[in-house]
Amino acid sequence: MTRLVKTVTEMEGRFEEKWVLVEDDGLVSWEAEAALRHVGHPTPRLTGPQRVSGAARYTVDVALPGMLHAAVLRSPVAHGRVTALQVAAAEAIAGVRAVLTPASELGFQQRSGPLHDEPLYAGAPLAVVAADTLAAAREACRALAPSIEPLPFTVDIETAWQEQRFDGDLHEEARGDVEAALAAAAVRVELVVSTPGQLQTPIEPHAAVAWWKPDELVCFIATQGMFDARAELAKRFDLPPERVRVITEYVGGGFGGKQNAGFEALIAAELSRRTGRPVRLVLDRHGEQLDGGCRPATRQTVRLGATADGMLTAIDAEALVEFGMSGWRAVTTPALTLYRCADVRGIEANLRLELRRGNAFRAPAVMEGITALEQAIDELAIETGLDPLELRRRNFADRDQSADLPYTSNSLLWCYDRAAELAGWPDRDRWREPQADGLLRGMGCAAQIWWGGGGPPSHASCRLGGDGVAQVVVGVQDIGTGTLTAARMVAAEELGLPLDRVTVRGGDTAPAIYGPVAGGSQTTPSVMPAVRGAAAAVRRKLLALAGDVFEAEPDDLVVDDGRIRSRDGGLDEPYTAVTAKLGQASIDGSGNRGPNPDGYRANTFGCQIARVAVDPGTGSVRVEGIWAAHDIGRVINPLGASSQVEGGILQGMAYALSEQRVIDRTTGVPVNATMDDYKVPTMMDTPPIVVAFAPLPDTLLNTVGAKGLGEPPIIPTAAAIANAFRHATGRRAAALPLTRARVLEAIA
Amino acid sequence: MLVPERGGAVVPVTVVLCVNGERHEFEIDPLERLADVLRDRIGLVGTKVGCGEGACGACAVLLDGRAVASCLLAVGSAAGHRIETIEGLSRDGLTPLQEAFIAADALQCGFCTPGQIVAATGLLRAEPAPTRAAVRQAMSGNICRCGCYPKIEQAILSCSGGDG
Ligand code: FES
Ligand code: FES
Repeated sequence: MTRLVKTVTEMEGRFEEKWVLVEDDGLVSWEAEAALRHVGHPTPRLTGPQRVSGAARYTVDVALPGMLHAAVLRSPVAHGRVTALQVAAAEAIAGVRAVLTPASELGFQQRSGPLHDEPLYAGAPLAVVAADTLAAAREACRALAPSIEPLPFTVDIETAWQEQRFDGDLHEEARGDVEAALAAAAVRVELVVSTPGQLQTPIEPHAAVAWWKPDELVCFIATQGMFDARAELAKRFDLPPERVRVITEYVGGGFGGKQNAGFEALIAAELSRRTGRPVRLVLDRHGEQLDGGCRPATRQTVRLGATADGMLTAIDAEALVEFGMSGWRAVTTPALTLYRCADVRGIEANLRLELRRGNAFRAPAVMEGITALEQAIDELAIETGLDPLELRRRNFADRDQSADLPYTSNSLLWCYDRAAELAGWPDRDRWREPQADGLLRGMGCAAQIWWGGGGPPSHASCRLGGDGVAQVVVGVQDIGTGTLTAARMVAAEELGLPLDRVTVRGGDTAPAIYGPVAGGSQTTPSVMPAVRGAAAAVRRKLLALAGDVFEAEPDDLVVDDGRIRSRDGGLDEPYTAVTAKLGQASIDGSGNRGPNPDGYRANTFGCQIARVAVDPGTGSVRVEGIWAAHDIGRVINPLGASSQVEGGILQGMAYALSEQRVIDRTTGVPVNATMDDYKVPTMMDTPPIVVAFAPLPDTLLNTVGAKGLGEPPIIPTAAAIANAFRHATGRRAAALPLTRARVLEAIA
Repeated sequence: MLVPERGGAVVPVTVVLCVNGERHEFEIDPLERLADVLRDRIGLVGTKVGCGEGACGACAVLLDGRAVASCLLAVGSAAGHRIETIEGLSRDGLTPLQEAFIAADALQCGFCTPGQIVAATGLLRAEPAPTRAAVRQAMSGNICRCGCYPKIEQAILSCSGGDG
């Protein structure tokens, strides 16, 4: 039966009540003990062969007949007024087809224009050129030779704070009376921590190819959310969504930074609309590092109060954010939710600076918050003389502290135990003994909380043809998370087919099968139940037909390994014994993600332990091992999941050790907006990483029992490393990353 | 302005390239980047440009069997050398190394993967049994932002004749 139901949906902690279309699929979640053939077994990626052979086509690879190339002129100053642009000179360059400046009448609407005559950060787009070749477009950009009158700017948090340059209101969330609780506490700690600006740095930069055809706008976009991109293009250009098609077959990484259609697709579409030719706009690396987005830097103060035996009685978290996303406040969310505590307060101020505004970067805000909170908890452990893991166990919250609701599942205690066991945590003090190589070693831990329950709407279709091969269509693109592979596994499971008889298509809005943006760790828990529902619908129809063909009761039949069998073993026929009779017809099914259970919160949890070696002579810090235990409900594909954890950990490690957007305070310009100077980790930096998953599916949450995994692994790594540094050296650096200068200063 | 200056008039010259065993002749500015010629003129887009500044390795191709950054190589200086791209390596089906990448899940978004495979192929040709340390050293110029390093290392070592 098809119904419209009201349900609470969540995206990165933003809760919304909305109507969703639900078709009851009659499925119950697979039990923890269910014997599954595909789901839960390590499975190589569906698109592996295309990706390893260079055959995969990314947006930057799309070349259409007559295609023009676009280049962007960017602001060299943090704040200024463009007083002149040599448009005629640019237009005079051979091959130039269109020049867009802030003065151009655009065919689309945007609140703050995409091109700026008063740039508010270095790298802000001033003008765009489309030309027959990229070289001509770039030459025309140079010819524009902007005259810019410099204006004053502020690029440091401290000044912005003193000047009270708030972006939006101060955000405060509290329960109880934190000041009184702090005053009464037997033990108190206070910690001030600065965290760096971090750039997503996907290896494929932001890119779009747009083709404004008479009846349709077709856009190839490197985006994490093709349906969001379609909605944005349709809205801005005032087109019916059905006349906009977004194709996103392969994306070279996103990590949160590639949302919606973005500047690139809007501008490419506008240029195509004007010129009647397809237009490709690919950011060069410098443009990507200046304007692709970032995790904003923060300065946070955490004050904790506790009893002598380590029971938290007060948590007070304050965060100053270096121009983060508008309206997005979650730096202090972990302080409000991770531990059981009655008197809690979180205050956040988003400061407006002449810097590129932050956008989503894997676990936006929450990672910053955990990085400070978990270091403060570590200080409390030292202050109370308790083992840091024991302190965390004592303060375990078995329900959501903010919403006062139970969790659909929570295996955080298991994660503490498992990480400790894998890392050899009980012996951690032995690393502090004098080491033969003269290095200082230590171990630290940190916990993690994130949402990641997903929800409706999310749809899938499944079609079984005469050849007995099933084709699944989903409304999401695979940005490297292995979504399509997981969908194949889930469909094969439900259909009783071998993996090679299930194909999965995504990355195109044309089939009009909706899926959510790949963000907030919501893809797996949203999309996989829809895939299972679609496959189940096909299975039921197939068995009904098999009942006709074999004169059997459909309820007595099951599918397994590409065959249709009767429960009593009397019948054992290949799928094709039925499907071959279909002729040109097919068996079709659709599925959707059902509503979330009422009265619960769905969250992911985890714990990581890091071991570091610090060279007191040079100040270098090496991570020698990371042990990670995460609760993400059922793991669909342990192989892909372990890859995702490793990737998150490496980005988190670099946040602690090397990555930071460095701004020259005298000019306001980022000085390391290149791959060479912005230090992402390499293979040489990679420590051994051990990954474990809690063996408990979340059967309350959805019909596959899975929660999401994109964000959780990046969240606790930096805090665990900072705590290991503290354990090794007895000192805590006031700011991350732990550069040599900061380390030498901290241990001096 | 954020584009490299290249003032002066360009005098095209004839450049003959040998790519994946095939001969290609161009009238071309000899300073054009090899990566662009491969991608835009020959259509071999398996070679990726991640940074264009020699810092990521996505554009790796084999030049006489040795991995080089094709974004840093002027096409004129590639003339007369044997160039192999990811397409050339894959021509007769997937190599054991490519199979090992898939089996180990040594790729996520896959954008860096052609460069990783090319670099690792160059390494294994020069040193069929590299140690773990040699693999880490040789591959440290190939950035994988998805963080597939543990599995890339594992995939390469599984194809190494040595015991690591
Ligand atoms: S594109 Fe050549 S090294 Fe990055
Ligand atoms: S797999 Fe994404 S950059 Fe390497």
